[in-house]
Amino acid sequence: MERPSYGRSGWLGQFEARVGETGILLLFLVPSLVVVGFAQLYPLASSAYISFFDWTLSRSPVIGPFVGGANYARTFSDPVFAGSLLYTIAFALISTALQLVFGLAIALLTLGERLTLRLTRTLIMLPMVIAPVAVGTIWRMILSGRVGPLNRALAAIGIDGPDWLGNPNWARISLILIDAWEWTPFAVIILTAALTSLPSDVLRAASVDGAGRWKTLRYIVLPMILPVIMLVAMFRLIDGLLTLDIVFTTTAGGPGYATHTLSFWIYQQGLRYFNMSYAAAASWVLLLACVVVAAVFLVWRRRIMAWQVATRS
Amino acid sequence: MEQRPTLSAIAEKLARGLAVALALFVALAPFVILFLNSLRPSDEFLSDSAGLVPSHLTFEHYAEIFDPSGDTLRYVINSLIITSASTVLAVVFGALAAYALARLKLPFKLSMIIGVLFLVIRFYPKITVALPYFLLMRQFHLLDTHLAVIIAHVSLTVPFVVWLLLAFFEDFPRELEQSAMLDGCGPLRRFVLIVLPLTTPALAAAAVLTAFLSWNEFLMASSVAPNVATTLPVRISGFITDKGIEWGSMSAMSSVVVVPVALFALFTQRYLARGLTVGAVKG
Repeated sequence: MERPSYGRSGWLGQFEARVGETGILLLFLVPSLVVVGFAQLYPLASSAYISFFDWTLSRSPVIGPFVGGANYARTFSDPVFAGSLLYTIAFALISTALQLVFGLAIALLTLGERLTLRLTRTLIMLPMVIAPVAVGTIWRMILSGRVGPLNRALAAIGIDGPDWLGNPNWARISLILIDAWEWTPFAVIILTAALTSLPSDVLRAASVDGAGRWKTLRYIVLPMILPVIMLVAMFRLIDGLLTLDIVFTTTAGGPGYATHTLSFWIYQQGLRYFNMSYAAAASWVLLLACVVVAAVFLVWRRRIMAWQVATRS
Repeated sequence: MEQRPTLSAIAEKLARGLAVALALFVALAPFVILFLNSLRPSDEFLSDSAGLVPSHLTFEHYAEIFDPSGDTLRYVINSLIITSASTVLAVVFGALAAYALARLKLPFKLSMIIGVLFLVIRFYPKITVALPYFLLMRQFHLLDTHLAVIIAHVSLTVPFVVWLLLAFFEDFPRELEQSAMLDGCGPLRRFVLIVLPLTTPALAAAAVLTAFLSWNEFLMASSVAPNVATTLPVRISGFITDKGIEWGSMSAMSSVVVVPVALFALFTQRYLARGLTVGAVKG
């Protein structure tokens, strides 16, 4: 077999020699930066721009007059916006909390290299790999009022199940539970990795029978994996604030506006009613909320890691 | 005194097993229900007497959605084209950029700034981008084309690929590249001939994650390709607004989206877990 040439000969070698080391590496960056700039950064900037103008696409194909912060002011006096904001925050917080609790429990229960445990971890991952819109249709089926399998199972043990997706409050709760079902596997995967990387004597102490175990877990294991727990919390909190897909296929925002998440509401404003400027302003409010969440978490995490380093030595 | 610990140990083992079994049941039962419903005769969906398992299995819903006069096959092909093109492009672009960031010595910490920029893209609401991106595609007359969705998906996944591979390329032993460098081997050939062959597991992890993301993505696909270049997830969302819900065909269509991905996940589980872990924990 001919060994690939590493020398300066050949057209490739000459090309590399002419453009130079740094030049080629800079060229390597170009495709990614072009795509990201074109399809992410430019639209992002353009949405910030649009948010200060008045523009309804269905009425006019070109952007309207400059209105300053009027679109932003409008979002805060819009009761539907306020309602969706509140629901979205509750949704993200409760769902993330559930994911962390169940994720940690499952990670601890399935820790180990036995085949059955590994297989369990693999199977438990499935809810998060399927399309969120499909998650929605599956649960819509399971939760459907009278004939859904869940209410039938409840009826079999004598409980008259609620109209999960038809009653506003139950619909709000159902969506949160569906999201937690879908994303708990993420917490399991990450926390399993964090637990596995702990020193083995810590893990052994934590698996010893008796009263010492909870203490080990509470005072040694949890503090050690706290930075990872917070990272999972940050990812899931932000993704929770952006929840959109499952709303489409479960409740479509209803009944009424009960399950409008902020992203869903913005989607309706922008891509259904074509209130481009209003939707853009609302989406920037959401974006700034995400920035705040991320910043708080990263600063907090850095403090905790510094504290860990300080106490370990 | 001897009996007690063993008894509690047995009780604990049992409780543990039950808890794991329950978790597995909650995670997997919905998949079983979906699949069974896709094989259930239509008239059973609204009847009170129907059990959990259909009285007899039928493929009528699959036959219906794959009817030659229908469009399902086109949606499947759309999804396949978009997912494979997005995956290849995102991994190629992302690997090149990650290698450059790992090797370049740019002034003003520019490498870090670009790296963080890629991370930030993971965190802002995609709905902010979806509206102007829709306008952009309208302007370029690319609405309802595969290309519009592919560009969107590459732009969403490239940052993730860069972030994931950066760690691997930074840890890549430079001695392996050094001797080739002395021969006059430039970065392009070093990257392709030396670095890539030794980082295939990381590339596989990046590819697997990208493929999942693209196959499942809904927001961008639904905003720029609502009618012609429609992907499967977008089609599924249509079942809700249609007059009345056709449970059978909805289940069949959902199974078409879910089952291949679930099987694929079982086989690529190692890469998937590694990709998610590195991507999340490294930050």
